[in-house]
Amino acid sequence: MTYLIRSLGRSLVAYVVVAGLWITASSLIPGFGVFAHLRYIVELGAIIGFAAIGQTLTVIGGGIDLSVSAVITVAAILLPMLSFAPDTTGLGAIALTLLVASGIGAVNGLGIGYLGLPPLIMTLAMATILQGVLVLIAGGSAISVDNAALTWLGASHAVGISATIILWALAAAATLFWLHGTRSGALIYAVGTNPEVSRLSGVPVQRVTLWLYVAAGLCAGIAGLLLLAMNGQGYVGIGDPYLLSSIAAVVLGGTSILGGQGTYLGTIAGAVLLVTMTALITVINASEGWRSMILGCLILGLLPLSGRDRSR
Amino acid sequence: MSTSAIRPLYWPIQWRRNEGLGALYIVLGAFVVLYVALFPGILAPGAVNKFVQGWFPTAMVAVAETIVMLTGGIDLAVGPMVSLGSVVAASTMQTPLGVFGAVLAVMALGAGTGTIVGAFVAIARYPAIIVTLAMSFIIRGTALLILPRPGGFVAPAFSDFLAGNHPTTIVLVLVLVMLWKLYQATPLGVGLIAVGDNAEGAYRSGVGVVSARMFAYAVSGVLQAMTGLYVAAQTGSGDPLIGEPLTLSAIAAAVLGGVSFLGGQGTLRGALAGSLLMSILINVMFFMDLPLVAQYVVQGLIIVITVALPRLRGARSHTA
Repeated sequence: MTYLIRSLGRSLVAYVVVAGLWITASSLIPGFGVFAHLRYIVELGAIIGFAAIGQTLTVIGGGIDLSVSAVITVAAILLPMLSFAPDTTGLGAIALTLLVASGIGAVNGLGIGYLGLPPLIMTLAMATILQGVLVLIAGGSAISVDNAALTWLGASHAVGISATIILWALAAAATLFWLHGTRSGALIYAVGTNPEVSRLSGVPVQRVTLWLYVAAGLCAGIAGLLLLAMNGQGYVGIGDPYLLSSIAAVVLGGTSILGGQGTYLGTIAGAVLLVTMTALITVINASEGWRSMILGCLILGLLPLSGRDRSR
Repeated sequence: MSTSAIRPLYWPIQWRRNEGLGALYIVLGAFVVLYVALFPGILAPGAVNKFVQGWFPTAMVAVAETIVMLTGGIDLAVGPMVSLGSVVAASTMQTPLGVFGAVLAVMALGAGTGTIVGAFVAIARYPAIIVTLAMSFIIRGTALLILPRPGGFVAPAFSDFLAGNHPTTIVLVLVLVMLWKLYQATPLGVGLIAVGDNAEGAYRSGVGVVSARMFAYAVSGVLQAMTGLYVAAQTGSGDPLIGEPLTLSAIAAAVLGGVSFLGGQGTLRGALAGSLLMSILINVMFFMDLPLVAQYVVQGLIIVITVALPRLRGARSHTA
């Protein structure tokens, strides 16, 4: 808990930037500050937010997950294919999809934790392999979804707040509790800071790593489902933008890319910040080239705020 | 005296650089044999030339990535940089600057961008992975602004010179190796590996850490931009997205070649062998008419297996 308070300062910056952007944009652009629009921004942020849960966990644990986008696509394509008649609620298909997503994460975790492969390589290779499998099962076509539970998720509101946002809030609370309130959460920081010392101190490094990547796979799977709920159909490449944005959200949130430092609290602000920027760029109606350039400059420009790594 | 004392060391040191690459050489050898057995036609001089031309871009970006990884960094903007190089080449060649001006422009572009990235990493000390991630957005955006869709102009004579029926590319590979030897013989080249291995120790020993790092990024940038020039010559046009897949190929080839993410460990021969394996793999699978699926899956598996094998053996000898 004390760590959470200490790292709050670092993540606070991202919150301040988001608040500043929202206030400025609301006063300059008519319609930006409307509740429904801000809610939509946070809803979009939820997808990055879920993908970034896994990214935050693996980065704090000293790794990185480059298979996020592939797992998102797998989930978004698998669910429509799994929707079958006897499963009227659609919950069975969802459970099965998330199981597959977690399974992919488990393979990553086994390769990294037990075989000692560099995370960058293992998850990159996994992404390449999944890419191939996806082309095989989906080809170039988009698959529409017909899943009762998912439709409900995409459409329901409670006191004006959509189910997606509530789900994100719950997941965020669970992630923060795991990181800062449990013993195994503390071990993630230990592994990320120094795996060798952790191992010698009796930390089950291999097991911790395995569970990190299982969680990452699961969260990417959920992100895929949310994306599907919003989009209505899944296709190859649907998850591609989420690899870079999940990493960017983690970094903007003040988590050190070198591991062992950071909190998901900052990542939440990082995710909302990214979506807000994209929304603003869309408002000024920039072309694809400008959009990409502005986004890159913003990430570079915000780097000093999120702290630098003096370790090398 | 001094030369006779150094001479006997040269070959043992060269030999030691092959350490840890055994598995890669065996896999590579097996694939070369498979390739030749399946398609004996590849041994014809013209076919070898064509193969080298297909391999060259991957080899160039693998070397560019290796230089950055040796300093302990990583470059995620390789692909967009290649695209931008091709775009700049194809849009300057029709201006009065001509071919010579285009080559100069591309080189300046690579050196300039590399220096900017190097400044962020070496002077401002931001993590390379984030700086290059952000740069990849900026570079991609710039390429799209210059040339929104494939086009531009590449002088046919220039295309023919680089990618025609002359062994120009084979000469370029040799030049690349010679330049590498030259780089390694300068203080900046020695600093390159020293900085990646132990920056603090290198600094205390009088290595210019900042200059070594910045120079590394600049050299890497030039190589990437020149790859774009070559690709433009090959395809006869500039394409703002043509380089995209090369980011991953570059990293994969370097890692296959035993270049460590932690810096300070890796060799040019490893990077070249790694990229060669990737190229042969793709060619063999293409000629065997394997579906795209198999190509992706096999590529992923080969990377994992080649990296995992030495570790598995290492782990066993540890416990034994």
